[in-house]
Amino acid sequence: MSSVSFRRLEKSYGSLRIVKGIDLEIADREFVVLVGPSGCGKSTTLRMLAGLESISGGEIRIGEKVVNKLPPRERDIAMVFQDYALYPHKTVYENMAFSLKVRGVAADEIKARITQAAEMLGIGQLLERRPSQLSGGQRQRVAMGRAIVRRPQVFLFDEPLSNLDAKLRGQVRTEIKRLHQAIGTTIIYVTHDQVEAMTLADRIVILKGGEIEQVGTPDEVYNSPASIFVGGFIGSPAMNFAKGVVQSGEIVFDGGEHLPLHRNGAGKANGLEGREVVVGIRPEHFVSAGEGQPLSGRVQVVEPLGSDTLIHFALGSATLTARVAPEMRPQPGEILSIGVDPSRIHLFDAATERALN
Amino acid sequence: MATASETTLVSAPAEGATKWWTRFLDPSERTLAVLLLLPAAFLLALIIVYPVGRLVWTSFQNLSLTSGLPATFAGLENYALMLDDPVFWETTWNTILITLITVPGALVVGMILALMANLPFETKWPTRLSLLIPWALPLSFAGLIFAWFFHSEYGVVNDVLRRLGFEGVIWFNSANWAFAAICLTIVWKTSSFMALIILAGLQTIPRSLYEAAEVDGAGRIRQFFEITLPLLKPAIVVALIFRTITALQTFDIPYTMTRGGPGTSTATLAMYIHQNTVDFLDLGYGSALAVVMFLLSMGVTVVYLRMIRAKG
Repeated sequence: MSSVSFRRLEKSYGSLRIVKGIDLEIADREFVVLVGPSGCGKSTTLRMLAGLESISGGEIRIGEKVVNKLPPRERDIAMVFQDYALYPHKTVYENMAFSLKVRGVAADEIKARITQAAEMLGIGQLLERRPSQLSGGQRQRVAMGRAIVRRPQVFLFDEPLSNLDAKLRGQVRTEIKRLHQAIGTTIIYVTHDQVEAMTLADRIVILKGGEIEQVGTPDEVYNSPASIFVGGFIGSPAMNFAKGVVQSGEIVFDGGEHLPLHRNGAGKANGLEGREVVVGIRPEHFVSAGEGQPLSGRVQVVEPLGSDTLIHFALGSATLTARVAPEMRPQPGEILSIGVDPSRIHLFDAATERALN
Repeated sequence: MATASETTLVSAPAEGATKWWTRFLDPSERTLAVLLLLPAAFLLALIIVYPVGRLVWTSFQNLSLTSGLPATFAGLENYALMLDDPVFWETTWNTILITLITVPGALVVGMILALMANLPFETKWPTRLSLLIPWALPLSFAGLIFAWFFHSEYGVVNDVLRRLGFEGVIWFNSANWAFAAICLTIVWKTSSFMALIILAGLQTIPRSLYEAAEVDGAGRIRQFFEITLPLLKPAIVVALIFRTITALQTFDIPYTMTRGGPGTSTATLAMYIHQNTVDFLDLGYGSALAVVMFLLSMGVTVVYLRMIRAKG
């Protein structure tokens, strides 16, 4: 087990810069998730750590060792690939034993380790099967088993759940979390799914355009997003955004609606008089009318989900989504009066898109 | 669907009055399948079944166009003649020897070429084109080029040997040297075909398997034997089937390089068939020889297909 650090890490293909100087310290035994949209450089960063991509600049350390020039086999890492990369002509046992055989581990030791890992993952009965005879979830477990038997310093997961259906994804996600709790090895996990990031990570690293947008615990990135991008990326349904101008401690939206920022929210408007801002409100932070700051708009669509209801309503030129109690069922076209928890209102600079509060 | 077709088959005799041709109007899947397959089956019969049947029939006849006599039924006479014919045994052995030398030779060279062509060059077309050129050349053209290469006075091979301090070889005066020259030419000509099939096989192996093997600690050689070779087996078997069948039919290259000489030491079974049917116009004996070659090719194909099935 080991810490990992990236210092000014860069990757370019010709003049195209994919990773633009990443600085990140990952502690021993930490579960860190790199998350971001396609093309943000998260997989490239992971592959550079694995040694599958050369680095264009900066430094990567695993423990105290600089591994910039080391081939993958000398980095003491194990990786679970997006397509699992199981050897199709080998049985599950042979797949799991391969790395140990290559390293000259004794046959008895190989058997013991595979038995232990298979028991942990519930794949003991599959050891003689070939990958083509396994379901997606079973393949995923075998890929994890292959990584576990190595007992590496760091586990790398490259979008390991993206080939599974939604139900299985939730199930395997729990297993990965349980696995981390059981073995405690440092894990670096890449995904584009913010739910995976939120549920699995000790810390989330949000990447955009090859740069780190924010690093923090799931609570930090959810409650205090550093930018519009982070606010919109983390949370489902996504955070609502509406442009407005700060006037006398209130936000005035382009349709003329007002959102007072007094009480707890008053401080947020300090020094922002006349400034153009973007207001961010999570759908779940709307409260019933009479509580919080009042806001109204015309209902466009109502989506009952059973556990709660999603109401889409117009506010000026923006459409906002509110997650409210299931019994609240306004009709489309109605004027909705709703409240907003003032302590949960996020303000972003309209020009820089960075958080103001 | 099975039920529908069974119903048709069972109910048809019961309705005694049903005319046979009404079956063709029955839209059941089995009838439809037969109707759709008929044109292809007819074409196949025309271009394969009929010529092969005719060949087998001719092999049981005394039919020599030089004698001016009408064809007579000879039974197994042509085949019995073959058993006592030393040229038949020599040319058959030469054919088998060429197959045993050039097929593995082309496989090894083709594998090396395919691995080279599969390297991540930025510009891929020069390697791909250089693979295609030998394959695209006509066999007889390749034979003529290499006959010049191996020419004792003006050939580039002897020139290089002499520059390196060796004595030149009179390639086509010795049975062994002539055989070696022919085999080298066939390997050069056919390894590009092997390479193309193996290259196609190589490109179906996902890159992530090599990456996983790298992370697992396997070096390049281990990756080749643990991943590349096992996953290439289907492509290799296909290439071997095609190459072995064409090797058993070797004709053009030895014909253009040596005409089978010195003597009949480099003649192949296909050349002997050609000599009997085209030069001597002995269609009965020539056909019997051709049937033997056909059976050899079929035998090899069956062995390879069984190998594939056993693997599956």
